[in-house]
Amino acid sequence: MSGASSGISPLRRLVRAELAAGIAGLRLFIACVAIAAFMLGAVWMLGAGLSRALSENGTIMLGGDVAVEVVNAPLDADLVVRLADLGTLSEVSELRSTAIAGDARTPVEAKVVDDAYPLVGEIALAQSADGVPTLAEALSEREGLPGTVVEPALLSRLGLSVGDTMTLGGGTFEIRAVLLREPDRLSAGFLVGPRVIVSEAAGRAAGLLSSQGLVDYRYRLRADDGDAQALAAAVAALEPERGWELETPADAGDRVRETVARVTTFLGIAAMVALAIGLTGAWAASRVWIGRRVRTIALYRLSGAEPGLVVALHGVLVAIAAGIGIALGLAGAGVLAFVLMDLLAARLHLPWQPAALASAGALAALTLAIGIAGACASALSGAARTPPGAAMRSADTIPTPRPRDAALGAAAIAAAILLAILGLPDEILAATAAFGLVLAAALLAGAGWLVARAAARVKPRGFVARVALQGLDDPAKAAMRAVAIGIGIAGITAVVGAQRSLDTALRAELPDRIPDLVLLDVQQAGIGPLTARVEADPLLGGLQASPFMRATITAVNGVPAAEALVREDKDWVISGDRSFAWAAEPTGAELLGGAWWPVDYAGPPLVSAEEDVQEAFDLVPGDTLTFSVLGRSFTAEVANIRMEYHRTFRPEFLLVASPVPFRDAPHSWIVTLEGETDAAVDALVADLARDAPGVTAIDVRRIVDDLTRVVEGAGLASLAIAGLLLVVGALALTAIVAADVDSRERQALAFTLVGASRREIAAARLAEAGTIGALAALVGGGAGLAGSFWLASAGLRVDFAPGIVALVLPLALGLAAALAAGIVGGLGAAPRGRGQLVRRLAG
Amino acid sequence: MHAPETSFPPSPAKPSDVVVSLVDLRLSYPSPEGEIAVLRGVDLAVRAGEIVAVTGPSGSGKSSLIAVVGGLETPTGGSVRVLGTALESADERTRTALRRRDIGIVFQAYHLVPAMTALENVALPLVLAGEEGGEAAAQAMLREVGLGHRMSHRPSSLSGGEQQRVAVARAFVAGPRLVLADEPTGNLDRRTGEHVAQVMFSLTRASGAALVLVTHDEALARACDRIVAIDEGRIVEERVVRDPVAAGARG
Ligand SMILES: Nc1ncnc2c1ncn2[C@@H]1O[C@H](COP(=O)(O)OP(=O)(O)OP(=O)(O)O)[C@@H](O)[C@H]1O
Ligand SMILES: [Mg+2]
Repeated sequence: MSGASSGISPLRRLVRAELAAGIAGLRLFIACVAIAAFMLGAVWMLGAGLSRALSENGTIMLGGDVAVEVVNAPLDADLVVRLADLGTLSEVSELRSTAIAGDARTPVEAKVVDDAYPLVGEIALAQSADGVPTLAEALSEREGLPGTVVEPALLSRLGLSVGDTMTLGGGTFEIRAVLLREPDRLSAGFLVGPRVIVSEAAGRAAGLLSSQGLVDYRYRLRADDGDAQALAAAVAALEPERGWELETPADAGDRVRETVARVTTFLGIAAMVALAIGLTGAWAASRVWIGRRVRTIALYRLSGAEPGLVVALHGVLVAIAAGIGIALGLAGAGVLAFVLMDLLAARLHLPWQPAALASAGALAALTLAIGIAGACASALSGAARTPPGAAMRSADTIPTPRPRDAALGAAAIAAAILLAILGLPDEILAATAAFGLVLAAALLAGAGWLVARAAARVKPRGFVARVALQGLDDPAKAAMRAVAIGIGIAGITAVVGAQRSLDTALRAELPDRIPDLVLLDVQQAGIGPLTARVEADPLLGGLQASPFMRATITAVNGVPAAEALVREDKDWVISGDRSFAWAAEPTGAELLGGAWWPVDYAGPPLVSAEEDVQEAFDLVPGDTLTFSVLGRSFTAEVANIRMEYHRTFRPEFLLVASPVPFRDAPHSWIVTLEGETDAAVDALVADLARDAPGVTAIDVRRIVDDLTRVVEGAGLASLAIAGLLLVVGALALTAIVAADVDSRERQALAFTLVGASRREIAAARLAEAGTIGALAALVGGGAGLAGSFWLASAGLRVDFAPGIVALVLPLALGLAAALAAGIVGGLGAAPRGRGQLVRRLAG
Repeated sequence: MHAPETSFPPSPAKPSDVVVSLVDLRLSYPSPEGEIAVLRGVDLAVRAGEIVAVTGPSGSGKSSLIAVVGGLETPTGGSVRVLGTALESADERTRTALRRRDIGIVFQAYHLVPAMTALENVALPLVLAGEEGGEAAAQAMLREVGLGHRMSHRPSSLSGGEQQRVAVARAFVAGPRLVLADEPTGNLDRRTGEHVAQVMFSLTRASGAALVLVTHDEALARACDRIVAIDEGRIVEERVVRDPVAAGARG
């Protein structure tokens, strides 16, 4: 038998024999691979699925190739005609309203659509008794009643079912179908209630579009010739006098996109950490396995097997085990990603392709395969170098790998990390994370090396200290052990620290539950009775009423607003209609400069500008702002600059003007109030339903509770990820500790013979492992904290708030590593039980 | 010789002092099929300065006997007195202390610490005893066994005979009053084995310690002062080859 060519058939026979005997020795290896594969696969598949769904569906999310949006009043008819000339046009209007059925009422997000809606994508309606109607059928008038489709939440809140009727605005609608998905959902902002869709004719007839309330008018265009860019340019060239917001598919769903990018970055880096730890575990586990087989390998060599055959045999066995691990992990990941993707896509109202998952899964498998090959290189190279003579010696440590093989292994691991970088949405962030991991590994190796150098210098007298230091004094080994334990600590600390920061930030972004109730569209005549009703109830209070109007800033100090802009990122303050109110008294907001006008001020208009406006134009009190309200233009001096917090449900206005002349303009009011008990608030809502059906009541309590649930869900999910990392870490640690159990047991026997007590052996081992553990905890934990700081601030863009957990965790992990090694290699190393010791010694 | 001078008690041991005394010693091991009686009533006394060979077929209980006398195994019956300590009732701490102070053990499989050099291995008992100048004593002992040129070698780069000589040096370095050797030459070729045995004998004679030597080698057994043959856990024959005191005087 010579050469690889004639070695194939013996190889096959040997592999078959080994497989028949079982590869239980590789269980730990398989577990490490499987968990790493699960995390990597799940994260990549989910990330790929989500980002593909978002990037491919921009047109669907926007509802067309180009969209323009105005608030309050529709575009002039002639402008609409000119828009319609440019392509296929669809008009959609959105407003908040209240749906009423009997005594029950609930705020809804009404959407009034024309026949062309949807221009792109599809509305999904639920199957009903007589099949699935088309949207046109569902909205059409039947026996004098217009139809509507509603989201399931509306049915449960009002206790209705398909076929029932409800009141919306001034009209009665028959519910014809349940709305499952609307393609352009992500173009809408934050929804405070379930969606209700009605036809334009019916909506108009019900007075939905003529109210004083806030209506978003959206005009979507589809290019007839397919040239979306030319269409966008043509629409932009129309340049109406009143500002509008022009959007292309690239802008659609940017808030969701940003969230998804944040989340995938976090997940991706967690997965990269899992990959690093998993590979460390695979490296250690493969060395344990080969180490236990040194005698077997030597026997193979004695009976004529060449090194090539030995490597081939073990390579095949490891590959089979790796295949099992990857398959198990990716199968689990696939199921999880599919379920989550289905759930998320439904919530985002987006279609998605399972094919996106498959390619991400394949990439994960490739990455893992390359990484595992690299991780196993040293063990396999050691196997190749096992001399036949090892069968006769008691030595059962793996020979050191050839430098060439070690370098090849390192290169393969580097390639896997490179693939992991390319697999993430944000390559720069991923590369930085990978670089951080490598840097942490280098620091750990350097620290281990230094400790070994120092240990080699000291010669203490006591047995414990001497044996402990003796175990530390090999620089290469100490460096390797510090990396093996510390890299997991670093990665886990980084992810947990970032997770804590994210959780803290999400919770901080939760709006306060004050006020409890926001009332929209309260008419002038309704303010008096409402105030009286609230004052009469001792459990209600905190009533604040603000006029609710819209204004467009057109000039600053006489210069057209677009030219006066000094901060590009604040251009939204001049795009379209912005919130506007008048107030006689100070609103209570903090002033950054200037002063409020006197309560009885009746002179020419003065205006209070929000901080964003100040930043947009570098405004100082005394400058003038020109803005249009309800078609009329006003120029007012800036009296003060206000700061608003954006995390409350209180109305916030970009501009607040002095009362004259706005107080006499037609407008509705927005009212906020607080209730001491839920019942008092509920009673008021019921009264309003009877007395002021036009008022939309937004129940902040319910919204905040919903948001809290979402945030808590996100926190739980990221906690699960951190937990999974801990599991991989524990497995890798088990493998690392197991890697030298055999040699530790031999040592312990020798120590026992010369009269060392069990306690001394354990103390020596603990001191040794404790040194490495402490080193790994300090260096790895430090690197991890630095990593989590970077991850939080650069990756997730939240404040760094690692919490006590991230500080204590590395120490706990280092301690656990030391204890595990101390117990396994020390206390448990000398066999217990009658007859055990003599069998080991004399056997 | 430094070792005997430093660690022997001030009053020199009389050759007739009993170092090991076994009375009706019994030992059984637990097994799935119940207890297996391995030693079934062994009575034996070993005096200081005496070299006793223990022979017997495989499985007869020789290694078990060594383990009990070395305090590595607790008997299940009878009594074991080693250097005045009743081992059958001693706790692990006492037994460990006895081994550390007064007993040297050599096994067929060497049992060196792979990560330590020959010198570090030999110095171990001195380190455990907390003795000053352990290094020099260990060096001297290694030279004694003919390994002065191999001090900084690790076990993996020593031959079997060399490893066993390191183990012998380690067993003798702290000046034990009793040395137990379980087939120390079993892994070695005849010439190397003879060399190792000779080193052990001369170290024993020089220190005045007692040596209990398990061996299959008939010739080696005959070189001892007394031969004890055991079979199935009982002493089946005892043969005095020479009187150690007289032999010591002759030598
Ligand atoms: N841990 C144990 N559990 C059960 N039986 C044991 C155990 N250790 C040893 N034995 C049995 O005890 C008997 C004596 O073993 P021992 O090792 O003392 O024999 P030995 O005389 O040294 O043999 P050899 O010459 O082969 O070394 C043997 O039958 C052995 O199988
Ligand atoms: Mg034996």
